[in-house]
Amino acid sequence: MSEIYDIGYRHYDGPRLGRGYATRALAVHSLRGVFGLGRPARSKLTPFSLAAIMLLPAIVNVATMALIQQRVIQYSGYAVIMQAVVAIFLASQAPTLVAPDLRHRVLPLYLSRPVTIASYVGAKVAAMTVAVFALVAVPLTVMYLGELVVDMPGPPATGEFFGSVVMALALAFLLSAFGLALASFTPRRGLGVASVITVYLLSFASIPLVYGALESTGHDEAASWAWLLNPFWLVDSVQSWLFGTPPHSIEGGYPSGPASAVFLVALVGIGLGALMLRYRKAAAR
Amino acid sequence: MNTVVAGITYRALLGRRRIILLLLLPLGLIALAVLLRFFGGNDQPTAVGLMQSFAIGTMLPLLGLIAGTGVIAPEIDDGTIIHLMSKPISRPVIALTKFVVAVTLLAVFAALPTYVAAWLLVGNEDRIAAGFAAGSLAAGIAYAAVFLLLGVVTRHAVTIGIIYALVWESLVGNLLAGARTYSIQRWGQSIADQISTSAFFEADVSLSFAVPALLIVTVAAVLWAGHRLRAFSLTGDE
Repeated sequence: MSEIYDIGYRHYDGPRLGRGYATRALAVHSLRGVFGLGRPARSKLTPFSLAAIMLLPAIVNVATMALIQQRVIQYSGYAVIMQAVVAIFLASQAPTLVAPDLRHRVLPLYLSRPVTIASYVGAKVAAMTVAVFALVAVPLTVMYLGELVVDMPGPPATGEFFGSVVMALALAFLLSAFGLALASFTPRRGLGVASVITVYLLSFASIPLVYGALESTGHDEAASWAWLLNPFWLVDSVQSWLFGTPPHSIEGGYPSGPASAVFLVALVGIGLGALMLRYRKAAAR
Repeated sequence: MNTVVAGITYRALLGRRRIILLLLLPLGLIALAVLLRFFGGNDQPTAVGLMQSFAIGTMLPLLGLIAGTGVIAPEIDDGTIIHLMSKPISRPVIALTKFVVAVTLLAVFAALPTYVAAWLLVGNEDRIAAGFAAGSLAAGIAYAAVFLLLGVVTRHAVTIGIIYALVWESLVGNLLAGARTYSIQRWGQSIADQISTSAFFEADVSLSFAVPALLIVTVAAVLWAGHRLRAFSLTGDE
């Protein structure tokens, strides 16, 4: 004879917060992870020292505006000039977002919640985008506030500032989609860091050489296209098309017209697509 | 040297997708050389520029980092090093074996493509190709040792190595002449300059400083890595 005992497990009858809440929680947790918040001091060292290096030129620029009334760096060129620091930040922090979940194979646990693959990927990309955007936009804002306080001769460059902030968001989105896609191909953090920086350096170091080779043989039109192969110069080219800012390439201009913007959107699409494919495969294991 | 340890390390670095990472940069270098050759840039200044800015300036530190940390850091990261260390193999021998593996990988993936790329552009003119291949091998040996040590000492070896290679050697080295004296890639260039007789290439560091520096850094780093492994504690990540 059997009997059903009520041994006191309780039902959950509180509010169900749903997919949106879970995704937001994951995004916030990931964003804190990028900056090492809630982790030991060793994990905070890299992101915060890189953020400090990003701020330095902005502070120097405010100082020169106050002392000798001159701008050293333009808003529109800030990300291009500081691209090595942004790339190191992306390379060192993107794997911390994706590698642990892949290595410990906890993806099925996430997916047993209302979180889907799309919202998991979306949360990770959103967190990285916000982090990279903050890395670029905070120094720009410091510079702008400095310019307003110092009261430079002539009107403040408000339009250029807001344009560069918008482009910082585009840059952050492009870098995050691509950086996370590259980092997610290996569950090991060190290899993830190395693969992101390898792809960046390949595009950074080779493009001036390609440009030089094409330009010296009279292929000027083709040469200007070479700049679009590096994410920072690509976004700068979209910026000069949208906001009419001068190009910040090492030499020469960009191809005119919306082609670079189309290329940017296509690259973001490829990055997100690769991420989705990667996670669909990882979730199945 | 322990051949079994070496075999396991080779398999870990060359197996599956990881070899793509090692192949990406040398293929990029050779593709650039072919492109420059195609567009008529096969003169000595172009060849020296490609060697200095790409082969030794970008590719070598990065490959040194991937090979140097790659031979040991992933094992420490996922804890499988404990199986290796519980075997009756002297720890300094483990460190030396991993170092030799990293050096052979750099000879194949860095020094050889450097020679091929320079040869594609200028042939054997003024021994540019041989000089840069030898320079990149010498600097590669030092990089392998330093980054192996870094991989043993810290979990953030790759990030720290990138900051050293990009910020100190490239950024600071291009701005301040004094920083060039303490940069592994400039020591390699000094050896390249010794062999090549090209008029378009001048090294910043004298050979009498570069050779002892390379030797001391390499030997000290390998010995120290072996010493660190002798009293190694596996600590949790984050």
